[in-house]
Amino acid sequence: MSGLFGTETVDLVATWVAAAVTIVVLGGLFGERRLFGWSQHLLAGLATGFLALIAIDEVIVPRLVEPIADGGADRLELWLGLALVGLTAGAPWLPRIVSAVPISLIVGSLAAFALGGAVIGTVLPQLIAATTVDGESTASTVTSALGAGVTALVLVGFLHGIPRGRVLSSARSAGRWLLVAGIGGWLGYLLLSRLVLLLDRIGFLLGDWLGVGR
Amino acid sequence: MTDRRALLQRAAPAVLLVALGIALIVPAPDALRLAVDDEAAERWNAALDALPAEATVLVAHDPDLGTYAEIRPTARAALADLMARDARLVFVSLTPEGRALLVAELARLERAIVNRARLLDLGFVPGAEAALVSLAAGPTVPAEAEGAIARDLAAEEVGAIDGLLVVGGNDLGPRSWIEQFAPRVGDLPVLAITPTVLLPEVQPYLESGQLDAALTTPREGAAYRAAVELEPLERLREPVEPSALGVLVGLLAAIVVLGQAWGARVGAAVRGANREHEPT
Repeated sequence: MSGLFGTETVDLVATWVAAAVTIVVLGGLFGERRLFGWSQHLLAGLATGFLALIAIDEVIVPRLVEPIADGGADRLELWLGLALVGLTAGAPWLPRIVSAVPISLIVGSLAAFALGGAVIGTVLPQLIAATTVDGESTASTVTSALGAGVTALVLVGFLHGIPRGRVLSSARSAGRWLLVAGIGGWLGYLLLSRLVLLLDRIGFLLGDWLGVGR
Repeated sequence: MTDRRALLQRAAPAVLLVALGIALIVPAPDALRLAVDDEAAERWNAALDALPAEATVLVAHDPDLGTYAEIRPTARAALADLMARDARLVFVSLTPEGRALLVAELARLERAIVNRARLLDLGFVPGAEAALVSLAAGPTVPAEAEGAIARDLAAEEVGAIDGLLVVGGNDLGPRSWIEQFAPRVGDLPVLAITPTVLLPEVQPYLESGQLDAALTTPREGAAYRAAVELEPLERLREPVEPSALGVLVGLLAAIVVLGQAWGARVGAAVRGANREHEPT
């Protein structure tokens, strides 16, 4: 619901197409699988097309091809980038040891950035925030201690294959239940988001398409 | 499966859709009013008030399709609010999904005849975390970009930015920006609009002060939208507020479905136990 749909032909066509596809997807609830499957293929096709468009239009051409064409032929990193793109595109036909190079670079660099950022941006500041006790209220201290306790129990819940006594087994069991409770809470939040999405689509059908309540 | 059970299974979704449709049309009672969480809205407004005059705000627009419906009214109100405060908005997306939604939002702003000179689209930046690091080193201004924002950004790089607004989804939300971008750019106010599903992720950063303000739940968003004055950009506000009654009906339906699944499981266990005790 953009709230700014106009009344030109193109706006009306867009609204009708969106309404039709929404009805087709909702039809999946009633067992209409063929049209629902078709709509899934349509979504996958559109997403793939959009991805290809972004990759070519906003990444490969302006960041790689154009700089090379504009006199950057002596820039080694651009040719290296182009070679990596070529290796990725030709992966199905290349030996695994060659095609694995760009993927390894991507995975390795992402892991390095993610790990460094997690330590600098999350672990250290959160530890400092959690362990600062000056001027802290009793409730806040108890909450921090509870948080640390839950974290420790959940971590213990991941212990596998080491000798353990009754205390450690109980802690591990408690940690697993806490983990399940956490996942349950997260699913509850997810349910709310999806519910709002469903309401949004019904609101679109009623308001923007049928004009009910406008 | 009996005919009655099959009929029920077919009819249940229709009943749910009709009930949700009615809930959307019927006005919700005051007891279900969403706009009651004033604390988050006040903190949000205080963070916006603290921005300098004609601030340049980097808008990281990376929501996802599955949760955008929840935050869209708040995100649109926040953009309109920033523009009503004469802020200059620099948009960037790091996920293809976020880029698709941003293209639609920019088209919407253009339709609303917003002053285009106060907007700059940096486009899609690939590379996830690596892209965040490169943005912190200095955003690449598109060659065709013109105007004061583009010039300032090209000259001062990230120093030209006065604040960061993250419109987040499941990928590259506030956590990624706080981990990769914020430590590299110094003391920059960070605000976030996220769906409820990211609340457990965002809350620690709010508590530690790494995030200046966030609108995370439907209640917080509704409280902010109810309080914000958008004149002369009131047309950018979504005309219809989300229905609290619809959410309640949907949650009740979800509880019924969960109860039915739980009941079926318990019933199967009882029947299994009875069979074990039956004399052979």
